[in-house]
Formats: sequence, C-alpha cells, structure tokens
Amino acid sequence: MDWQAFALSLRLATVTTAILLAIAVPLAALIVLGRGRWLAAVEALATLPMVLPPTVLGFFLLVLLGPRTAFGRGIAAMLGHPLAFSFDGLVVGSVIYSLPFAVQPLVAGFASVDTALVDAARLLGAGPVRLVSSILLPLARRSLLAAVVLSFLHTIGEFGVVLMLGGDIPGATRTLSIVLYDQVENFDYAAAGHTALLLLGLSALALAAVYATSQKRGRAGSA
Amino acid sequence: MPKQFLAALFACLSLASLNAQTPLRVAAAADLEPVLPPILVQFESSTGIHAEATYQSSATLTAQIENGAPFDVFLSADLGFPKRLIDAGLADGKAVANGMDVTHENFPITYARGTLVLWSRKDAQLPPPSLDLLRSPALKRLAIANPDRAPYGRAAVAALHRLDLYDALKPRLVTAENIAQAAQFVDSANADAGLISLTSALTPRLSADGSYFVIPRDLYPPIEQGAVIVSNTKQRAAAHKLLDFLLSPAVQAELAKSGLTPVK
Repeated sequence: MDWQAFALSLRLATVTTAILLAIAVPLAALIVLGRGRWLAAVEALATLPMVLPPTVLGFFLLVLLGPRTAFGRGIAAMLGHPLAFSFDGLVVGSVIYSLPFAVQPLVAGFASVDTALVDAARLLGAGPVRLVSSILLPLARRSLLAAVVLSFLHTIGEFGVVLMLGGDIPGATRTLSIVLYDQVENFDYAAAGHTALLLLGLSALALAAVYATSQKRGRAGSA
Repeated sequence: MPKQFLAALFACLSLASLNAQTPLRVAAAADLEPVLPPILVQFESSTGIHAEATYQSSATLTAQIENGAPFDVFLSADLGFPKRLIDAGLADGKAVANGMDVTHENFPITYARGTLVLWSRKDAQLPPPSLDLLRSPALKRLAIANPDRAPYGRAAVAALHRLDLYDALKPRLVTAENIAQAAQFVDSANADAGLISLTSALTPRLSADGSYFVIPRDLYPPIEQGAVIVSNTKQRAAAHKLLDFLLSPAVQAELAKSGLTPVK
C-alpha cells in the first residue's frame, strides 16, 4: 500500500469536496429557487462533465490550463506556477469532474422541500441566504450528505482526469487510483488486489459510519 | 408482430455475420497507430485479407490476450510482452511461411526497431532540441512515457542514466501513460520537451508544431519491436501472411519513412 498516495487522495478528495459544496449549494439553490429559462441551461451545464470521457476532459483541461491559452497564462501568473502537473491543477480538474455529483443530489433535495415552507419563510422576510441555511439545508440533510459522499468518493476514484493532468509525480499528483492502475498495468496483480481490497474495505467502513450517524440524526430530528 | 420483427432482425444479423468474412484481428502497440493503417490497406489489396487493428499500450494488449481477447496477431512495441505470452503458452513466433525469416518458435519475431527522439515545440522559448537542452536549467519539465512498461519510457530513462542526467532531471520529469500522451504534454506546452518516438514526431501534427533530435542509439538498449501469433487463432495462414508482408522489403522501406528502423 502506497500511503503517500493514499494521503494524497484523501487530501485531494477533502479539498475538492469543500470547494464543491461552496459552489454547489448556492448553485443548486439558484436552480431551485430562481426563475427563468436560463436556469435550465445552468443546470444542463453543471451536469455536462458527466458526458465526456474523463481522459478527454483531462486533455481539454490540459490544453485550457496550459501556457498556450491566455486563461492558462493568467492562472500561472496568479499562482506563480503552471496548473498542469500540480496538486492545484488536480483540484481544478476534480472540481469540474465531480460537479454533477454535488449539484444533482442538492437540486433534487432542495426541490423536494415543501414550497409552502419556502413561501412562508419568504413572506416572513427571509433572504436567500437565510432560506438556504435555515430551511433548505436542514430539510434536505440526506441530499447534502449524498452530495458530500458522492463528491468525495468520485474524487477518490477519479482516474482519467488525473492521468491526463497529473504527470504521475509522487506526493503531488500520484493518487491512489493511479497507483492502483499502475499495479494492474505492471502485472502486479497481488499488490493491486491488496490496494483495492484495502480501499474498498476502508470506504465501506467510512460509508457505513456516515450513514449510521445520519440515520440517528434523522430519527432525532423527526421525533 | 414484435416477435416476427425480432425473428427477422435476428435472421438479418446472422446472415450478415455469415456473409462477412471474419477479419484478421491485430493487436497493435500504440506507437504503430500513425504507421500501420496504410500498411493494412495495402495488405488487403495485395492479399484480399481484411485486417482490423486495435491500438493500445503493449501492456494492456498483453493482459487482454492473457484473458482470452480474440486477437490473431500481436505487434508489440518491445520483445518483453510478446515473450511473456510465449512463455505462458499463449502465443508463438513460429517461422514465417515462405522461408523469408528463420525465427525461433519460442521467441518473438522482430519486425522493426524504434527510435527515441527529444521533441519540443518550435515556439518554446528554448534552444532547439539537443543533448545540451537536456542539460539546460531552462528545461523545467521533461515528459517521458511510463518507464515501468512503455518501451520508449524505458529507453528514455536508460538514456538519461547513461548521460548522468537522471538524478538531476528526476524532479522535473512528468510521466505520461504512453508516448502519445507524452507528446500531448509537450504539444500543449505544459511540458517543455519530451522523449518520444520518432513515429510520433513524424506525424503531420507534431512535425508542423515542433522539431526533434535523434537520441544517439548507443545511449539506450535497442527498442526492438516483436510480433507473435496468438496460439488460439483460427487464421494462422493469414496471420503468417501478414507477418511476411510486414517483413517484405517494400513495407520495411515504408516503416523507415514513418520513423521505424527496418530490420531487413
């Protein structure tokens, strides 16, 4: 087991999930609470990363973030280093790649909240921030949890984008999924088996723990 | 009605598969992608045998053949992977049909040798590719293919070791899955230069964007590309014809134009 890669994957998934929540909660609220046809276009756009094969998405990002575009040069000037082949680059790639997995559960959760409650809160003078923090998020807890879990796991298992954008640098861009792929491609099936088994085992434990706590909270809340 | 429709559809499908001659399935290393398609067209027009190629890394193709992928011929980018299949009893390098080549049954047939080049974009703010570029501190990122399994990646690391540059360059290496991806790293200007195959450097896209320097051959062990016939094939005669064709002077000359060194 490559613990350095394991730690890197955890760090990448944590940072990505935090950023995704900061983006996806307001975006989902906008899609559900807002009016206008353009919101359908926003939702479509936020779902689009699922369509592209991940390596192709990674290739487009490699080109977009590279020094041959003004955008890429601007980011490199801001950060002081190019994005490709760096941890920051993987974060950008992962946020785009996992965006649908954060937005979709939240949109579904927010949309299932009783509109009477939302209208009542509005009449009582709640602004959009209050609406989201006091009404939508508490009532759509399970969806929030689903968004966190899916974003996190999708980033842990992310492969194509990292392969394209990462450059396989130990400690910076060599994630556990890359190590696992390398082990398989190098015919090191025993090591691959161990890595995969450990990853699956740890994930199962973590997921069970998360779901167990959330169920308790759910019962306490409804009582 | 739907039942009749399905029956008719099924009949059409089975007729279609009866009529179509099964193509010769070729598992080909990724570095052959720019080279092989026109050769397979010529092969069909001169023998009437339709061959279809699947391009993947040699490692992936080897794993697929080990697990029963229905290929007839495997054209690897090295000798190690086909040898692995021979040792497992899944492939052989039996002598080519019309006595053109005396090959050993237990060894892959070398059909070409690869050439390692240093490639960079013309608009990179760097000196043109040369061994001096590898020593230059201006070279911030050097792309190579995965040395664990990509033959050109292995050759690249061997050459860097021979030049005593490996330790100095190690922090600046970015590793790509294969040669094509290493070329993409450089062509998108995310890496300054790359050690790639001459076959890639000679593709229209890359020869328009950049220039290359041939790494001296004494700096790395030869990249011998080996072919084997998959033992389960039902088209052994056709497979032999393809290997004969690959080793014929005309096709060998064509390989040379695409960046592979002929073995004849």
